[in-house]
Amino acid sequence: MTPKGSPVTATRNLGFVAAAATLLAAAPLSAIFERWTWLIQAAIAVTVVAGVAALTRLVRAPLWGQVLGMLGGLTLALAWLFPAGTELVAFLPTPGTFAHFGELLSASVVDMRSYGVKVPDTDPLLFVSVLGIGGVAVVVDVLAVGLRRPALAGLPMLAIYSVPVAVYVDSVPAVPFVVGAAGYLWLLVTDNVDRVRRFGRRFTGDGRDVDVWESSPLAAAGRRLAVVGVVLAVALPLAVPGMTGGLLNAVGAGTGTGSGNGQGGNPGRIDLFASLSGQLNQSEVYEMVTVTTTEPNPFYLRYGVADELRPDGFRVRNPTGRPVTRDLPDPTQRSGTGNGVERAQYRATVEVSKNLNMPLLPAYAEPVRTEELSGNWLYDPNQQVLFSNRENSRGKRYSFDYVRSTYTPTALRRAPSLPSDHPIRLQQTATPPVEQVDTLVADLVRGRSTDYDKVRAIYDHFSADNGFTYSLTTKGGTSGQDIVDFLNNKAGFCQQYAAAMAWLVRSAGIPARVAFGFTNGTGRTDDGYVLTNRNLHAWTEVYFDGMGWVPFDATPAYGVQGSTRSAWAPDTDAPEPAATEPGAPAAPDDSEAAPEATDPDAADQDTDAGLAVGANDPTRQAPVWPWWAAGALALLALLAVPALRRMALRRRRVARPTVALAPATVDAGVGPAGEAGRPVTVVLDPDRARADAHAAWDELLDTLVDYRVRVDRTETPRATAERLVTEAVGEDASAATAVRLLGRAEELARYARAPLAGGELHPALRAVRGALATRTDRRTRLLAAVLPPSVLLRWRTALGNTSSRLVARTGDARYRLLRWSPRRLLATRTGR
Amino acid sequence: MTQQTWDEVGGLLPHDEFRAASEAIVANIEQVIEGKTATVRLALAVLLAEGHLLIEDVPGVGKTKLAKALARSIDCSVRRIQFTPDLLPSDVTGVSVYNQETHDFEFRPGAVFANLVVGDEINRASPKTQSALLECMEERQVTVDGVTYQLQTPFMVIATQNPIEMEGTYPLPEAQRDRFTARIAMGYPGPEAELAMLDGHGAADPLQELRAVSDADTVRRLIATVREVHVADAVKQYAVDLVTATREAPDLRLGASPRATLQLLRTARAVAALEGRDYVLPDDLQALAVPVLAHRIIPTADAQLARRTTDAIVAELVHRLPLPHDRQRSPYDNRPAADGNGRAPYEPRRR
Repeated sequence: MTPKGSPVTATRNLGFVAAAATLLAAAPLSAIFERWTWLIQAAIAVTVVAGVAALTRLVRAPLWGQVLGMLGGLTLALAWLFPAGTELVAFLPTPGTFAHFGELLSASVVDMRSYGVKVPDTDPLLFVSVLGIGGVAVVVDVLAVGLRRPALAGLPMLAIYSVPVAVYVDSVPAVPFVVGAAGYLWLLVTDNVDRVRRFGRRFTGDGRDVDVWESSPLAAAGRRLAVVGVVLAVALPLAVPGMTGGLLNAVGAGTGTGSGNGQGGNPGRIDLFASLSGQLNQSEVYEMVTVTTTEPNPFYLRYGVADELRPDGFRVRNPTGRPVTRDLPDPTQRSGTGNGVERAQYRATVEVSKNLNMPLLPAYAEPVRTEELSGNWLYDPNQQVLFSNRENSRGKRYSFDYVRSTYTPTALRRAPSLPSDHPIRLQQTATPPVEQVDTLVADLVRGRSTDYDKVRAIYDHFSADNGFTYSLTTKGGTSGQDIVDFLNNKAGFCQQYAAAMAWLVRSAGIPARVAFGFTNGTGRTDDGYVLTNRNLHAWTEVYFDGMGWVPFDATPAYGVQGSTRSAWAPDTDAPEPAATEPGAPAAPDDSEAAPEATDPDAADQDTDAGLAVGANDPTRQAPVWPWWAAGALALLALLAVPALRRMALRRRRVARPTVALAPATVDAGVGPAGEAGRPVTVVLDPDRARADAHAAWDELLDTLVDYRVRVDRTETPRATAERLVTEAVGEDASAATAVRLLGRAEELARYARAPLAGGELHPALRAVRGALATRTDRRTRLLAAVLPPSVLLRWRTALGNTSSRLVARTGDARYRLLRWSPRRLLATRTGR
Repeated sequence: MTQQTWDEVGGLLPHDEFRAASEAIVANIEQVIEGKTATVRLALAVLLAEGHLLIEDVPGVGKTKLAKALARSIDCSVRRIQFTPDLLPSDVTGVSVYNQETHDFEFRPGAVFANLVVGDEINRASPKTQSALLECMEERQVTVDGVTYQLQTPFMVIATQNPIEMEGTYPLPEAQRDRFTARIAMGYPGPEAELAMLDGHGAADPLQELRAVSDADTVRRLIATVREVHVADAVKQYAVDLVTATREAPDLRLGASPRATLQLLRTARAVAALEGRDYVLPDDLQALAVPVLAHRIIPTADAQLARRTTDAIVAELVHRLPLPHDRQRSPYDNRPAADGNGRAPYEPRRR
C-alpha cells in the first residue's frame, strides 16, 4: 500500500533502490563461491521481484497483494533458472518443479557439508543462494517501500552477511561488507531525501531557496555527525584494552604481528614467512604453545610447509586431506625401515594458547592418531600438516601419537636419486632460473654422487666458515633476488637460511621445501616445553626416496634458542671436526642415532642460551621500560609546554630594560623632563616606554586570565584598574597602588602624548600577582602555574581563527565549485 | 560691542591657570546648586566645548537656576528668553525697524546677540519660533533681511524644558535637538544637599549674591586651551565606533549624526581639560555618551513599546562596545576576524 499522497515515481525509485541495495548486500557471498554465476542468477531473481513489486504498486495493490506478487515472481524466476523439465512454457511451475526444489534443498545440505570454501557452482548451492537473496529482496522491498521502514531492511541484509561469517571461522574479507553497507546507506539516503522533499521547499538559513542541485543545509550537520560517529567507532576500540583487532592491528603493526589475526580461514592464504618474521621481530614475548611429549629430546614442533616456489618466493599451497578422525597413514609401513632408519612412536599433548591463531595445528613429525580433535581438522599426508577450513588453533588442546624417524648418514647416502619423472620430483624441484644460484649449486655439488652428499655440501655451505651470520634485521623476502642478496650478504635469519637452502637443494634437482614450526625453546618444564613467539622457526626438509622428508636446519645454531641438530645434519659451526666433516662416518654406532644426535645438542642449547643472552639480547629482547620512560617524558614535556610558553612570554616582557636611559641631546619636548633646559637631560625613549607599558599591561591581563579574574574588553585601562582595586586585590594598599600605576602607564601609553616616565612597572606587576595569588584558591593557583589559561586561551583562539578562516575559504571554494555542479542541470528539468 | 568671531579665541592658558579658572567657575555655581558637581562640570564642559546645553527635567529641580548661575559666574553678556507660545522668531533673532531720524531701517538685535542665551521652557514656543535658533546655534550667525550678522564668542544657548508635561508644548524637532551638544538632567538633590539648600535659600536667593569670577576673555582662552587637548587615534576610532554602533543598533531607528561625533569629541576634550589632563581617554567618551548622544537618536517602535529609553540603549551600547586597540588584536577577542577595528557586533541594517 503506497502511503497516501506519495508520488508514485518516488516509491518506484525507492523500490529499485531497495532491489539494488539487496544485490549490493549480497556481495559477501562472493567470498564463498568460486565463480560469479550466483550473482547473475540472483540479479535475475531480484529484478523479477522488483519488477513485480513495481507493477503491483502501479495497480495500487494492497501490501499483501504486493507480497504475494513478489513471492510469485520469485517462484517463476526460480523455476526458470532451476528447471525440473516439467515446467509449462519453460517457467510456469508444476508440482514436479516444487519436488525438484525440495531435492535441490536437501542436496544443498549435503553440499554444504562436503565442500569447503570456496565452493564450485553446484545447482543446489546456487539454488539456495538465489532463493535466499530473492527472499531478502522481498523482505527488503516490503520494509523499505511498503512500510517505509528502510532502517529495518538492514536486518535481512545482515542475514546475508552472516553466511560468510558462519563459514569463515576467523574473519571475513572486509570489502564485501563495505559494499553491502554502501547499499544499505544508499537505501537510507534515498528514503530520507524523499522524506525531506516531501516537507516542501528547502531554505537556507538566510531564507534563500535551496536549488535542486545544491545539497541541503541540513547535510552539513549530518556530515558532522557521521564524522563524529566514525571517529568514535575507530577511537573507542583503541581506547578500550582488549578490543583491538583486525584492521587496526594490521594497520598499526605492519606485517602479520597478530598471530594470524585478520588472516583468512584458508590455510593456503597465510603468508607464513611474513607471520614468522613479524613474530620474531616483536619486542614482546608471549606464550604460544605448551607441549608435553614422551620423546626425550624431540625435534622441532611443526605446523606448516611452504612448498610452492614461484619467482617471488616460496608460497604455501592449499593443503588437501582427510579428516583426522579417520586413520592416518602410518609411516612405518613405508619401505626403508631398518638399515639405519629408525622409527619410534611417541605421544604428545599440545595446548595452544590464545596467541596462536591460525587454521593449522602444530604437531611433531608424522602424527598417526589424534585425540580431542573434531572432524573439521584434516591431515595432509603430503605436507604432513594438520589443517582446517573452518576452525582455528586458538585455545585448542589435543593429543596425538606420532612416529619419529631418525636416519644415519649412511642410510641416507644409500637412498637412490628420485627418477626424474617422479611426481614429487616434478613438483618440488622446479626453480625459477637464477644464474648466480645455479652456478653456486653447480660448484657445490661437483663431484658429489649421492643426493645426501649434495645436500650436505649445500648445507655445509651455510656455515660460519663461509662467513654466514645470524641477523634478525634483514629483509625477509624469499624471491630469487632476495636469495641472491642473502647469499652475497651472508646475514639473515631462519627464514632466509631455510628458503635459501631449499632453493639450492631444489636447484640441485632434489625435492625440498620450507617447514615452519617451533624450536624447543628454553622454557623446558619437567616433561614438556613452553614455546613462545621467539621460538618460531623455519627450516628445510629434503625428500629422500624411501625415507620421506628429512629435516635440515641450516640456520646458525647460536641464533636460535633451542636449536636441535641431528646426526645427518650436524651443526656446521660446532668445534668437533668430526661433525663438520661431511664425508666421514657420522657416528660410531648408527643404531643409536637418536641419542647420539641429540647429545651434542644439549651442549648446543647451553651455548645457544648463553649466546642468545650475550649477543642477541639487544635485538631480540629489547627492554620495554625505556619506551615507557621516553613516553612518560614526552607526555610530561607536552604537558609542560603551556607553562613553559607562559614563562617564556613573561620573561620576554620583563626582560626589556624598564628604564631605557638614553642621553638626549635634542630636547624632543616629550615628558616633563624636557622642560628643564639642562644641557644634558635624561629622558625616556617614548617608544620604548610605550612598549614597556604595553608589555606590562599585557602581562597583567594574562595574569588576570590565569587567576580567573574577569577581563572585559569594553573596559578602559583605568576602569579595569579601579575594578581590580575594588574586587580583586582587596585591601592590600601596595597592590592597589601597583594596579593603578599599571593602569595609568597603559592609559598614558595608549592615549597621551607622552608615556609614563620612570614607573616601576615590574615590581608593580609582582605585587599585583602576589595579591591575586593570595586571594585565589589553591586549585586556581596550581592551574595558573601548570596549565596557564591565558596560553591555552590564546592557542584556542588562534585555532578557532584558523579554522574559521579555513571554513570560510572552503565555503567560498565550494560555492564556486557548485556552479559547475552537474546537478545544476536538474534545476531546469525538475521545476518546483 | 566687540565682535569676537569663532576663530579668534585668544591664547592658551597654562595648566595651573586653566585649573584655577575652571575651578573658580565650578565653585561659584556650586554656591547655588548644591551637591551637583558632575552636572555643573558637565555644563561648564559644554561651554568650553563651544556647544549648547539642553537641561531637561521635571519642574523645580533648579534647571533655570543652573543656567542663570552659569551665566552670572561669567562676566559676559547674558540674555534670557522666556519661550512662550506667542513668541515670534523676530524676538529671538532681531528685527529691522524704521528709524524716523535717519529715515532708514535699523537692525535691532534680538535675544541671541549675547555670549550666553538662556532659553527657558524652550518647548513651549511654536516650532516656527524654535526654528529661529537653528541658524544661530550651528553657524553662530543671524541672517535678517538678507544681512548676516556674526555672533560673539563664546556663544552658548542654555535651554531648559520639561519632559513630563506635554500639554501645550511643541516637542523639539530632530534638527533642533541635534544642535544641542548635550542634554543633562538635574535630578533630585541628595538629602544633605536638600537640607543645605533649605538653609541657604531660606532667607535670600543666593543667586542674587553671585558675583562673576571669570570673563568672556578668560572663557575664550579656556576654549583655546581645550581645543589643544590631544586625542589619540585610538580614541578617535572609539568615538567613530560608538556613533556607528548607534547607527547599527537594532533598537534604534535613527542613529547619531556626524555632528554628534564632532561634538562628542569636543566635549570629551573639555572634560579632559577640566580634569587636568591634556589627552582624552575613552573613559571620557564613555561618560559622555549618554548626555551627548541619547537625545539625538530615535528608538524603534519596538524599543519604545518595550519602554527602553534612549539613555538605556546608549548605555548598553557603551557597555558592549569593545575598545579599539591601536596595537595588535587583543588575544581575548574571540570573535571571528571580520573587517576588524572592533566594530559593533551587529548585522548592518538596510534602511
